[in-house]
Amino acid sequence: MKRKLVLLALLFAVFTVKAQEKESLNLYTDRDLYVSGETLLLKVFTPASEQSGIVNIDLMNRKGKKITGVILEIINHQADGFVYLPDSLSSGFYLLSTYTRTDEMLTSKELYIANRFTGLPESNTDMKPVGVVALKESSVQNLQIGGVQKQYKPRQKGLATLQLPAELIAQLDGDLSVSIAGKTDEFSSQQFLLKSTSAVSPSLAKEGIVIEGIITDIKTAKPFNNAVVYLSIPDSIPGFQYFITAQDGHFYFEIEKYYGKIPVVIQCFAKEKSSSLKITLFDRNNLKSTMPAFEPRTFTPEFRKSVSNATDAITFRKIFNQQEVTIQPAPIIKRDAYPYYGIPTKTIDPQLFIDLPDFNEISKELLPGVKFRNYNRIPTLQVFNAAQQFYFNDQPLLLLDGIPIRDLNVIKDMGTKDIDKVEICQNERFYGDLIFPGVVAIYTSKADYTRVPESNDLIKLSLEVIQPHAVVNAPSEQRLNEPDLRQVLLWKPSLQPTPKMELDFQTSDIKGSFKLIIHGKTRDGSTFYKEQIFEVN
Amino acid sequence: MANRILYIVFIFGLLAATSLKAQEKLPKKWTAEKIKGTRRIPYASYSGSPFLNDKFATGEIEFQDGSKMDSLGLRYSTYRDELIYYNTAISAHIIIDKISLNGFSFTDESGKKRIFRRQYYNGFFPGERYFEVLSDGDIALLVYRQVVLQVCPPYNDNSGVIKDMSYQEAYNYYLYNSKKGYELIRINKNSLLSKFDKLTQKSVKKILRKNKVLVNDEQSFVIAWNLLKENGITVNF
Repeated sequence: MKRKLVLLALLFAVFTVKAQEKESLNLYTDRDLYVSGETLLLKVFTPASEQSGIVNIDLMNRKGKKITGVILEIINHQADGFVYLPDSLSSGFYLLSTYTRTDEMLTSKELYIANRFTGLPESNTDMKPVGVVALKESSVQNLQIGGVQKQYKPRQKGLATLQLPAELIAQLDGDLSVSIAGKTDEFSSQQFLLKSTSAVSPSLAKEGIVIEGIITDIKTAKPFNNAVVYLSIPDSIPGFQYFITAQDGHFYFEIEKYYGKIPVVIQCFAKEKSSSLKITLFDRNNLKSTMPAFEPRTFTPEFRKSVSNATDAITFRKIFNQQEVTIQPAPIIKRDAYPYYGIPTKTIDPQLFIDLPDFNEISKELLPGVKFRNYNRIPTLQVFNAAQQFYFNDQPLLLLDGIPIRDLNVIKDMGTKDIDKVEICQNERFYGDLIFPGVVAIYTSKADYTRVPESNDLIKLSLEVIQPHAVVNAPSEQRLNEPDLRQVLLWKPSLQPTPKMELDFQTSDIKGSFKLIIHGKTRDGSTFYKEQIFEVN
Repeated sequence: MANRILYIVFIFGLLAATSLKAQEKLPKKWTAEKIKGTRRIPYASYSGSPFLNDKFATGEIEFQDGSKMDSLGLRYSTYRDELIYYNTAISAHIIIDKISLNGFSFTDESGKKRIFRRQYYNGFFPGERYFEVLSDGDIALLVYRQVVLQVCPPYNDNSGVIKDMSYQEAYNYYLYNSKKGYELIRINKNSLLSKFDKLTQKSVKKILRKNKVLVNDEQSFVIAWNLLKENGITVNF
């Protein structure tokens, strides 16, 4: 009996440990030492089993507070992007972490960022993390780097050749990441794992970011059941999602395939009774982690020199307005061919007609089947049901630049000059389980959504979604008379492996050690690297 | 000792329960595409049926982006070429926006799976239409199941009202190729044979005879068509 129980307990333990086993993400940056105002380039390899379609990158200070972050799209088990390091960052050690929403472990990397205005601390010491266990990475032997000289002159062109045997290509999972960047002998960092302390979100972000929150009743402060939550993305064809809350009051939205910064409006209302509701958003994208221990570190004169040189380089680059990266246009995503509220029955451009001072006049004179009245200062709006030849009793779906609004006072003083076009649907429209008794969609001339007032039940966000792809700028031939102070001579984060690859690069005016490093991942989940160092004198 | 072991088992049990709790469940299909449409207005009541299936049949729709939604109560209006679904949450008959779909399928009362595809028809009365796919392939055999309201001899309906209109089938069958477009075809043996050259016609007849297929209606035409496809005989199109 005892043996059976022991066996059972052991079996249980094995399964529990097995369930928590997960291949980690791998994070690589172009350098380890940065100056505020610079652009950090990064590459992430994800496990083949990763289900999420996006990966989060956070830059945290040593207290674990997120300074900035980006969201990258995972393509072919890898992602690459960049992080602008704010000018306001104070000098010190920072952690760059990467994780998906289901990860319990964050892959992190220690970086030193010096403020370009204040330089290193006068005390000549700073706190550095200790006691972290670096992720294993092995040097690959059968990848050959050829053509790289030991020494180059400034602005000299170079050609590196990579030779990959067929067996290595067959083992590779995804592309190779290749970079040539300035090397600091005094400071180098490796990636390590940190345990997350936040609740891991169960909602998988397959294509985009997930917005989560809770609806509460303001009076009772309890979660509100059966609240309708709208998420609108103002656009020429507006994006729209809705969610009806259950007893826990939670709601979820996934914003798919949007790139860059987008405006988002979240609003809620009670489905059956008029209650005062409040929206609270969860910041689950900001996964907190257990921070490592820190101990003081004293800077060497060489380190101070490296920081000083890097500071000069970025200062000159700023003076000459030399951008490090160019953001590529976001991919064209095929979205809905028509708005979620349907193909309009009528589209009216009021500016083609005489000037009318308010929406009451516009509806009377220009909008067929739209009855907007303002009797006793109580505005009402009705739309004609063309199929059944009567006016709907209920208020139609009213949209201002794609954002649903319920307060008619917002539009009552809108004149001809304020309106670009009005779309009307003269029928009862359905979207999922929502019923719209006709639709009036007003698109304003300014399209700035300022008329839509924020409140407890309406939140306007400017949301950073998936980072668009960017490429590192090559030295411009038109700017030969300017100093070339590039720290990164080559950055190819997604190089498709072939038996022989040639990489052109050109050294900059910066003198010192440079490192060509190649990172890759094999199908068994292990990562490898190969590096070669050269000098520019 | 036994108590200690039980205690260990209890601890592991607690751990497992905590792990399960962490995997909190999300609402089912929360990211699924939403159906867009308008309310169905009842058609005028005449003899005959304006629907292909009088009762709602369980089926699946495919949206333009390729995502699918299944277990829906579907009904195809042959009179208006509209797909109607019953929304159980709001108890409404909704005409799904044709432009939002690639197609739909449902299983009819006889247990047969009916597959419909939305395609642009560039012939007489051009526009988007739902075609039933009788046989798919490089050259597809499609049918546009149209029902028209026609004048007929006067009759009394169930309420005793005299009427002179009825819903009548006016099905059109087509051969379709994405490059060559549509070609109208009649559902009879001669029409089928006319799609082959003289030499091939003999072998077509032989195959039909051997398989005892008498082409005189839609069902037998489809059987014959599929038989010829299986035997590698291609039509002149």
